[in-house]
Amino acid sequence: MTPDLRVNLGSLALRNPVMVAAGTFGYGLEYRDLVDLSQLGAIVTKSLTLAPRMGNLPPRVAETPAGMLNAIGLQNDGVDAFVLETLPRLRDYGTPIIASVAGETVEEYVVVAEKLSRTGGVAALELNLSCPNQARGGIEFGVSPELTAQVVAAVRQATDLPLIAKLTPNVGDITPIAQAAVQAGADILCLINTVLGVAVDARTRQFRLASKMGGLSGPAVKPIAQYHLWRVRQALPETPLIGVGGISSVEDAIEFILLGAHAIQIGTANYVQPTLAQEIVQGLAEYLMESGLNHIEAIRGVVM
Amino acid sequence: MVVEHRRREANLYELILHAPPIAQSATPGQFVMLRPMRTHAPLWRRPYSILRANPDKGVFSVLYSVQSAFTELLSMKPIGSTVQTLGPLGSYFQPVRSARRHILVAGGVGAPPLCFFAARLAPTLQADERILILEGARTADLLIGMDEFRALGAEVRIATDDGSKGYQGYVTDLLAAALNEPVESAVYACGPNRMLRVVAQLCLERGVPCQISLDAPMPCGMGVCLGCAVKVNTPDGGAWYKRACVEGPVFWAEEVCWE
Repeated sequence: MTPDLRVNLGSLALRNPVMVAAGTFGYGLEYRDLVDLSQLGAIVTKSLTLAPRMGNLPPRVAETPAGMLNAIGLQNDGVDAFVLETLPRLRDYGTPIIASVAGETVEEYVVVAEKLSRTGGVAALELNLSCPNQARGGIEFGVSPELTAQVVAAVRQATDLPLIAKLTPNVGDITPIAQAAVQAGADILCLINTVLGVAVDARTRQFRLASKMGGLSGPAVKPIAQYHLWRVRQALPETPLIGVGGISSVEDAIEFILLGAHAIQIGTANYVQPTLAQEIVQGLAEYLMESGLNHIEAIRGVVM
Repeated sequence: MVVEHRRREANLYELILHAPPIAQSATPGQFVMLRPMRTHAPLWRRPYSILRANPDKGVFSVLYSVQSAFTELLSMKPIGSTVQTLGPLGSYFQPVRSARRHILVAGGVGAPPLCFFAARLAPTLQADERILILEGARTADLLIGMDEFRALGAEVRIATDDGSKGYQGYVTDLLAAALNEPVESAVYACGPNRMLRVVAQLCLERGVPCQISLDAPMPCGMGVCLGCAVKVNTPDGGAWYKRACVEGPVFWAEEVCWE
């Protein structure tokens, strides 16, 4: 018998727990010739802002040991272009679409969330809390429990869709932020976003990114993601969690589920191996069969 | 599937791969993303311009030199093994049919896509059309593709930084001189970005049609990550970033915003 991979994250029901992470799968259609989109648990879009954003000066990316730094600067065509042009085509695949919402102000998050909620065809909203807050000198919203709560509460008022708060790891203790997000109305927590870092070129004696600092992702960050997941699960045992950070194989995905993730996201590995998400869906089923288990929930959180 | 690692000039190897769908559809200027490893360190695939393609035999090749962990792994792939390959990707050189002389400007390791372009262009030329190759390198032993260019019967002019072969100086000096000759020309260039900037400027000043192939760090090659951003001028007088992997790597010189 084929094991049951269906999962429920509160009211968000998925056919399997394997999603593709924001910003690593374009708007969703770019990989359609390589990947069977209908096999994925969900597709998280590139982060959407109110107006189109040009993004940062290049170079925007640098390869680092078992990882990469990026400072794309939220380049996107804006929420209206996504709703009008991309979403109607993406819906045809029948895979839940999770829209990643970004903003420089609380009001921007709210307006983008309203537009995505009204249009129909969006299964959930994921708040990118790693955006620079213009009112506070560009620090990430997600480093402060108060700012996190402000954004989540404001968006909560503006939507009935399941609300995912994506947490930044760039904090000393992630649990107060996780608690603030849930108290303000987040249904689901997703962790982690990228880890701040810099890279230097010894030959040119310059930073390797034009914006100097960027977000580290890839296999290098997996232990950091697993650490924060483990901490948040202890603090909030009832909250559905999405694990993301460096997942590059079936084994990696299983590790996050063993640590308590209801679902997982593939990020940077999509660039290297676009078919990985599909392969992980298959691999999870095989792992359960080999273990004589018939439901993915049987392995969730067994590593305490 | 790896057919051969053929030792070439300039400490390079020609990696010949059997992949009929790529060999059949590859157009000069396009590239492939290679992944010889199954591990994630090094992490990224790497883009390689296509040097030649034989649709009948189903093979194509790229040039590489062994100078990093990635290229070491690539060099160790045995004959008959597979290298994960995405492609052919990106835009391509478009012959300017009104030109009587096609000037191909190659700087350093920028020569491979122009070898492919010259090979496809040569059989299509009218009686009064010519190909002129301008190639620059630091030293004579780093010149790439001389045999291919000469076999096509193209005129080749060389510049080296140390004067060990041809003109001592930059290949862009040769281009400036060539553009002063009274022939209607079109320019196609690939090389370091600082060379391409000068090539573009020389052509734009003279109203010469010019296409350039730009290099940028490229994590995905499929238009997803927006890492390989190239600033372009938009029709409304503004600017925006395009992707070297999808809208590029070949751009019209007037489109690129050089700042």
